[in-house]
Amino acid sequence: MKKLLDIAARVSDQAEVFSIRKDSSSLDMRNGKPCDMSASIQSGYALRILKDGRIGTAYTKNLLSRDELVKNALDSLKGRVEASFSFPGPSEIPESWLPDESISRMGFHDLHSRSGKVLDYLNRKVEGQINVNSARGIQDMAIMNTNGLNFSRKSAFMYIFASLLFPNTETAVRKFYQSRQAGDFPEKELDVLMDLYASGLPEASIPTGSMKVVFTPDTMFTLLWRLSAAASGKSFYDRVSPLQNRREEKVFSDKFTLYGDPADPLEVDQHFFDDEGILAKKHTIFEKGVFKNLVLNLDYAAKLKEEPTGTGYRGGMWGGETVSLPPMPQLSCSRIAPGNVSFEDMIKGIDRGVIVFGVLGAHSGNILNGDFSVGLNPGFYVENGEIKGRVRDGMVSGNVYDVLNNIESVENRLHDSTTGGMYPSILLDDVSVAAK
Amino acid sequence: MIDRLKSMISGVEADFIDIRYEIKTETKIGFAGREIRSAGSNRTDGYVIRVGKNGGFSSATVTREEDVPRALELAVEGAETIIATGGKKSVLASVPVVVENIKLVLDGDPREISIDDKIELLRKYNDLMLEQPMIETTNLYYIEIGREKHYVNSEGTAVSEEIMTTNIAGEVIAKHGSLVQNIRVAIGGADGYNRLLSREDVFVKKAEIAARLLDAEPVKGGTYNVILSPMLAGVFTHEAFGHFSEADLIEDNPSLREKMLLGEQLGSDVITIIADSTLPDQIGYYVYDDEGVAVKPVTLMDRGVLTGRLHSRRTASAFGEPVSGHTVAEDMRFEPIIRMGTIYIKPGSLTLDNLLAELGDGLYLIDGKGGQTSGENFTFGAQYGFKVEGSRIGPMIRDINIMGNLFTTLQNIEAIGNDMELSERGGCGKGQLNIKSALGSPHILIRNMVVGGV
Repeated sequence: MKKLLDIAARVSDQAEVFSIRKDSSSLDMRNGKPCDMSASIQSGYALRILKDGRIGTAYTKNLLSRDELVKNALDSLKGRVEASFSFPGPSEIPESWLPDESISRMGFHDLHSRSGKVLDYLNRKVEGQINVNSARGIQDMAIMNTNGLNFSRKSAFMYIFASLLFPNTETAVRKFYQSRQAGDFPEKELDVLMDLYASGLPEASIPTGSMKVVFTPDTMFTLLWRLSAAASGKSFYDRVSPLQNRREEKVFSDKFTLYGDPADPLEVDQHFFDDEGILAKKHTIFEKGVFKNLVLNLDYAAKLKEEPTGTGYRGGMWGGETVSLPPMPQLSCSRIAPGNVSFEDMIKGIDRGVIVFGVLGAHSGNILNGDFSVGLNPGFYVENGEIKGRVRDGMVSGNVYDVLNNIESVENRLHDSTTGGMYPSILLDDVSVAAK
Repeated sequence: MIDRLKSMISGVEADFIDIRYEIKTETKIGFAGREIRSAGSNRTDGYVIRVGKNGGFSSATVTREEDVPRALELAVEGAETIIATGGKKSVLASVPVVVENIKLVLDGDPREISIDDKIELLRKYNDLMLEQPMIETTNLYYIEIGREKHYVNSEGTAVSEEIMTTNIAGEVIAKHGSLVQNIRVAIGGADGYNRLLSREDVFVKKAEIAARLLDAEPVKGGTYNVILSPMLAGVFTHEAFGHFSEADLIEDNPSLREKMLLGEQLGSDVITIIADSTLPDQIGYYVYDDEGVAVKPVTLMDRGVLTGRLHSRRTASAFGEPVSGHTVAEDMRFEPIIRMGTIYIKPGSLTLDNLLAELGDGLYLIDGKGGQTSGENFTFGAQYGFKVEGSRIGPMIRDINIMGNLFTTLQNIEAIGNDMELSERGGCGKGQLNIKSALGSPHILIRNMVVGGV
């Protein structure tokens, strides 16, 4: 990295090198049998240079020629992409947590053993199809720039994802366990999964109309993608955010607080700096319904004459190759503040409504405007506080700027979400449901 | 390169080994509004290895050549572990041994066009959209992706193939007060740079639609009879039916395999669906898949009867059906999985006016805005649409998403138009991105679709 930075420094005003190396493996057990085992060792380098107020970028996964990478960044300057920011200098960051060796040592047999325990436990009580996916990985990431910043971090993760499929379908209820140390899926969570499965076995028909709707943690991204797009510095700079000129204004119910907390000790991906080397700390977007802050990277912070918020990350909605994507404003390790109602009490309080456990089509529709219209996959129908069964061919639609003003209650506990972040379930009133 | 790959896998104790080495080149230029926000060209590479041993099958991907021996160890270990833990046994269907080098044939090689010329073409289309009334901004990209693939397996197959896709794609955003509406735009293909030239009309039309959406009504949720435009019917074909024709998606679900038996009448007798990546000049075109198997046209459904399926060598053997050459990876970071290339509904005999007459009252929904499938359930969004009353096209509507069950919907397809359009851009995400997923259809009429709305 240092050699690459030195070469880039000679031809630019400022330069930054980002590198990443991931070593991961995964196991898929479908219908109770190990089907796929795969491994991956991937690396990559991204270079950004600033010269005469312009930026040049280049990347490669395989650093065969430093000179070629620098040449590509110089060629990129011909695009005359303006950049008015500087790379940050060094700053004090808390000492990073060092992963223990338990995940480095995990092999295919260990993944199989931990997945097998989940399968055995579920098999004792459930007759339907069970799929279990598991993975482990370690990652080394580093950033170095010509202003003296030199940060690196090592991280480790493992996860197990258990799915119970309803008969004759691919529709499933799912539970997710993740850890930064080798561990086993907690049995009490598997008990919750089996109870959910039993509740969803009967099919229920529902009327079309407005009713109460619960978004569970794994479906919260449906709402949060809309908010992330609106709070992004890019949308503000492009003057298309519905939150434009609404800072410090009450936009949502006072039951709604959204923040990112990368330093949270409970976070598997705990980290103290973003992908541009800016200190990453708790960053609140909405506090008790009031819009507080934008989500910015270095570029949009400079364009909007704001301070960077430690939220510049490489990667997109669909993942993507980390080094090929420039850092963009993104909230990492997001949280919705818990409320004061248990999930069970939340359901008991519903006279007529739907619990959304999975969605199809969250990426469709006018995301920037806050509109959503998602298929239930699955959704459970609730009447007089009791789950009546799973809905066939149902959709839930609305606009986040309406529905988040109709929050009835927020669950008192946060859960890891498969799409990242930790959220409670949220009960919304008066949401449009369409069904056959 | 082929000889180097052969030497890398020689001496490994396994029943089957293949290795794919790929060089990927990428040029991207991006405008947001009138500002250029990104520009650059990059080149990278990597290796994908698959091993079959004692019936177990496993894969490993690595970036660096020095990690190839470790990848071989991991893939062998994975294959052995699958069998040792009572996992699925895999047999590969027999295919001809092939030694071939497929060269690119392009109408205008984008690698010979300067980045300045590409920027100017993109700027011209971008400016055209920005000049239209009510347009607030744009996000428009030039994307050129080249893959130089070299494949070798232990059976003696050695195939090299180059593919190149060029697109100009993005969105145009209209705004009035706090209401924001967007429309997607995409042109391009796999047959060269010249396809991108002289396409001004596409960009102007999309900007006009985005502006009109500001006055459109949100659709009211409910069950409707609908006519889908060719692009939207193509999304339906891809999302609802196409993925279900990919053998790996139903392979390990016994109840779904039972439903998807070849010879079953699953749809109404008006519908015929074909997967054909040999169609020239389409974004879905290729010659060999990433298992070294030549791609073949497959009639998936013939007048409502299930007649074919898309396979890898492994699933073809498991199902006892012919290989089809549809095992494709996004790039050198991924093992190949079963993917559609070009999929479309065969045109019928009715004009759009005929279909409107048959519809009576309902919705006319136009152009796709993403979709998703899970088993037999699917959703997809429409970019815009119109109410239809008494067979006449009425006011514009927006915020349209459709959900359905594949089997019910296939039976509810009532009529097929006589026109035909194929998409110019792919982008299916099934764990990996497939930029060569072309789709298309004539207009089609479907009864009783659930439409989500406000």
